Amino acid sequence: MITSTVPKVTRRAQARLGIFMVAPLMILVIVFFLFPLGSSVYYSVVDFDGVTANPPFVGLANYVRMFTDPEVLHALTNNLIWIVIGTIAPLVIGLLLALMLWTVRRGSALYRLAFFFPFVLPGVVIGIVWGWIYDPLSGWLNVALRAVGLGSLVTGWLGNPNTALYAVLATAIWAGFGFAMIIFLSALRNVDTELVDAARLDRTNAAQRLWHVILPQIMPVFLMVTTITLVGGFSVFDIIFIMTNGSIATNVLGTYSYSNAFQLNNISYGTTLALLITALSIPCAVLLNRLQRKLSLQGTSA
Amino acid sequence: MTDFTETERSQLRLASGLDKPLPREQNRISPRRRFALTGKHLLLILLAGLTLAPVVLIISTALKTDVDVKVDPFGLFTSFSFENIVNAWTQGGFSDYVWNSVLLTVPSTALVLVLSTLAGYAFARLPFPGRTTLFYVVVLGLLVPFFTYMIPLFYQLRSLGLLDTLPGVILVLTSTGVSFGTFFMRAFFTDLPVELDQAARIDGASEWQIFHRIMLPLVGSGISALGVFTFLGAWNNFLVPLLYLPGGNFRPVTTGLYQFMSARLIDVGPLAAAALITIFPVLVLFVVLQKQVATGFISGAVKG
Repeated sequence: MITSTVPKVTRRAQARLGIFMVAPLMILVIVFFLFPLGSSVYYSVVDFDGVTANPPFVGLANYVRMFTDPEVLHALTNNLIWIVIGTIAPLVIGLLLALMLWTVRRGSALYRLAFFFPFVLPGVVIGIVWGWIYDPLSGWLNVALRAVGLGSLVTGWLGNPNTALYAVLATAIWAGFGFAMIIFLSALRNVDTELVDAARLDRTNAAQRLWHVILPQIMPVFLMVTTITLVGGFSVFDIIFIMTNGSIATNVLGTYSYSNAFQLNNISYGTTLALLITALSIPCAVLLNRLQRKLSLQGTSA
Repeated sequence: MTDFTETERSQLRLASGLDKPLPREQNRISPRRRFALTGKHLLLILLAGLTLAPVVLIISTALKTDVDVKVDPFGLFTSFSFENIVNAWTQGGFSDYVWNSVLLTVPSTALVLVLSTLAGYAFARLPFPGRTTLFYVVVLGLLVPFFTYMIPLFYQLRSLGLLDTLPGVILVLTSTGVSFGTFFMRAFFTDLPVELDQAARIDGASEWQIFHRIMLPLVGSGISALGVFTFLGAWNNFLVPLLYLPGGNFRPVTTGLYQFMSARLIDVGPLAAAALITIFPVLVLFVVLQKQVATGFISGAVKG
């Protein structure tokens, strides 16, 4: 739109500088992203053993294997459990905390800092310290359960196949709700407080105000946090790998793909599994992003 | 202010819709409200304490004496000594790991900042052929999980001779950060008014001078937020060094800690100390630069 007012010499200078400025980035993106991305499609239709230069073409054999492998279904089920609980819980906890902190003046920054801090910790440290908390003998959780007379619930939380996934999931929720909280807090700052006060005058209760007045206003942000946690749920790896390495009970697509490629030397099969993660997560991300954009547009026009 | 008649009070009460009695003095909050506020603070303090309890556990266990840590590993602050920290730093090899982490994190963060700022500016304000297509490629990098291409990347690095080398891993760490960085910086440059470069152009500034002298100083807050965000991401990264530094020559704190954990599950004391060393820079950065950290994550999420 402004190009018409800009002289031709300037436009040429801009184009030259523009290409010069994106060139280093594009070289890096091509070599370390686009090229391996293309290779991963290639890997999935050959039988690569990591050494042979020209691996034999196997067509869709890796895909057929994937769809008939019972462990894929098991891992996918674990991913779904992870995604459902691991998305809802941080959202709910984060929203409740943000609503509590919204009206707090004194010490607000300190609370924010405390709740957000776990989010910036490395996964290995989180895994180690929660491993201690879940320790069967002297871990805080079992000690606390015995202390309040719930000794019958005591178990080796990470070793027991029935509890392992949920124990790791609880850890991930602890590490993640602070992120949802600060995003909600920043969104609440833009909420029209006059509307909330007006609703209060109309003798609505807190739940009604939340549902009818506050939530519609922060809906785009709500969907954005959902997208981020949901997409992360498909490619979860670090924390499960660290806390329960080698356990079948907590296998998700990420750990199953990793162990195939780097421990069992089924490189092509591992890559195919990784492509499944992508195929599942990208449509979700795009869909939620569309919805979010639609809602933000409605929000600005209203 | 205080001499309202009873009817005036009831009218006021009606008008403001409050079903609780008006405060005796207008500039003081009512006891009931104060009680509620105190309750809220108590609840928040309790919740914050619970949230930070695992972090306190790391610090407490790291600072125990060797004897105490065997008897009562998870009791809080029952003894005090630096022997675990010294142990992890020297015998545990964490002096090397910290140095390796610095060698990996600082160059990759600097590279992300330079590449993202340059490209972000070009995508925002310099029309050039193919701009839209190239920007879509950059956005694709945000959508595709690292998982998708990490396995082929391993063999690609090996054939390039970059596997198990510092430059190789620095470049991978950089490439995982630039998509977001470019997206982020582009948003900052887009927000600057068009009049700025028009005025500068009339004054005879070259295109590079417009970027360098006028635009760049205006996005300082964006660059520092991105810097903190990228640094934390690179420092905490586990998968990249796990995959591409298999030899262990340049092992950073995260995979070093993982190795340490697998090797000595029973040595709780040195392990806690090693964990504390690993998170120490994070802790310092988080407390000192909390504003940049929060801005980085919030605007990162909103703009991403």
